[in-house]
Amino acid sequence: MGDGESERFQYLQTLVTEFQDTDSVVSPLNCSEAKEQVLANLANFAYDPRNFSDLRKLQVLDLFLDMLTEGNENLVEFGLGGLCNLCLDKTNKSHILDSGGLKLVINCLSSRREETVLSALTTLMFLCTAASRTEVTAPAVVECMVRFSLSTNRRISNLATIFLQDYCSDKQVQEAKELSQHSALGIPLPESTQHPI
Amino acid sequence: MAESAAVQVQAYAHHEQRKICASRAKYREGRRPRAVKVYTINLESRYLLVQGVPAIGVMKELIEQFALYGTIEEYNALDEYPAEEFTEVYLIKFQRIQSARVAKRKLDERSFFGSMLHVCYAPEFETVQETREKLQERRKFVARATSSKDWNAADKKQEIATICTQDVLGLHKSIADSSHISCRDPLHDRGDEKFCYTAPPLSHEHVYRPVSSYEVTSSNTVQGTVQQTIASNSYTWHSTRPNVPGISTARFMPRTTQLQERQKKRQQSNALALCGLAPGGQEVVIGPKLPEVSQLDMDNDSLNITANTIREKLKEVSCTAMAAAPGRTSDDAADRPPVKQRRRI
Repeated sequence: MGDGESERFQYLQTLVTEFQDTDSVVSPLNCSEAKEQVLANLANFAYDPRNFSDLRKLQVLDLFLDMLTEGNENLVEFGLGGLCNLCLDKTNKSHILDSGGLKLVINCLSSRREETVLSALTTLMFLCTAASRTEVTAPAVVECMVRFSLSTNRRISNLATIFLQDYCSDKQVQEAKELSQHSALGIPLPESTQHPI
Repeated sequence: MAESAAVQVQAYAHHEQRKICASRAKYREGRRPRAVKVYTINLESRYLLVQGVPAIGVMKELIEQFALYGTIEEYNALDEYPAEEFTEVYLIKFQRIQSARVAKRKLDERSFFGSMLHVCYAPEFETVQETREKLQERRKFVARATSSKDWNAADKKQEIATICTQDVLGLHKSIADSSHISCRDPLHDRGDEKFCYTAPPLSHEHVYRPVSSYEVTSSNTVQGTVQQTIASNSYTWHSTRPNVPGISTARFMPRTTQLQERQKKRQQSNALALCGLAPGGQEVVIGPKLPEVSQLDMDNDSLNITANTIREKLKEVSCTAMAAAPGRTSDDAADRPPVKQRRRI
């Protein structure tokens, strides 16, 4: 078991190193592709709680957080997916909250990617603590959730409904509804990427 | 679900099979070629969408295949789903998400009556409540996984003590105890959580902490108060709890005392076995107060069995050694020379 663990740590370390190196090396054409692959790999590793401590040691949490402000939408999606996977752990949670991750995640709510919005929704709920609650349920966020809850995309509307029901007070929801009637008309819902086959 | 199936028969992006990634670096290649995709709890679901089922009336066989991996709650053909020619699309709802995970892994891209199945999660068929339960389950899973890790580091006996003290304090929904998980009322959970965030912390602390004890402590760390890591947290817990009355006091014993006791018992029984005094000697050692078994009891079935076999072995060995000893001396004289010679050659 000990061997397997250190092996995994080394593997993760290799991934992180490759991720950083593809940054600095003058890029071959597939640079961003390789980065996406590695990031997706790390994000999937973040699903398994056994890897949490290794990922913390390698500061992968900060790596994920950095991705949220990238221009490449794949990187944003994968980075946020990684955060969504590991943010339930309380050490991870407090690290994300301490490094201002909440704001970054909230910004991702306006992404055009379905998966990114979904991860952002879930991550917000997972990051909600007694301390962070006011920020998580800020009027702008609640108002956004009200819109999402009306979305035709079932996955988004489900999560938004849970957010409104479980994390917001009736008063907050009511206020948000009024607010959205006044100001937020016409803001498009995120593209629910539907592909007729 | 029937109604949801009627509403949602569209092909979504996450149903689509992505292109396999062929440009992975060697060391990142897995056992099976895969696309670049990140799985989160959002993508997973108890609902599986099965595409590429040949339209030759093999629903029964298909469901049988899937039922190998867990109880299926519902299934039906999605007639309106855009399918390839001569194939059908099925929706299968498992009782547990874990079954769906395994079934997907085992049956995706498997050949089935000459056609290749494509199995993917279909979370858009979930109701709000089902999505909520899914997230709750993930919460519990992570809580359990991260807390049991700490426990591995701590002493096993203390682990039991923790569970007991948790019960004593009214923390009935011990996150460690998986038996609670299946029977928790989701509605109740929801209520708790809501209260936990909205109610003033002091008045509800004891009642509501169980559900979100992890939330509470993590918020402590955010605020920069005493508890910093899970590990140190659990240790402070243990060290402050020994005085709690009830079951825990009966069970709780410092590690060193336990070890000493165990060793004492072991030495006693070893001594008995070696002397071959077991039946007679036991009475002397046991004393009137303890029942016969508890003298041998090492607090653990497995340990007891091991201890017994070792005792038996020792008894056997000491008996045969004593019996053989006198005979050997005479034999030895005769046997030794040839043995020595053999060794030289």
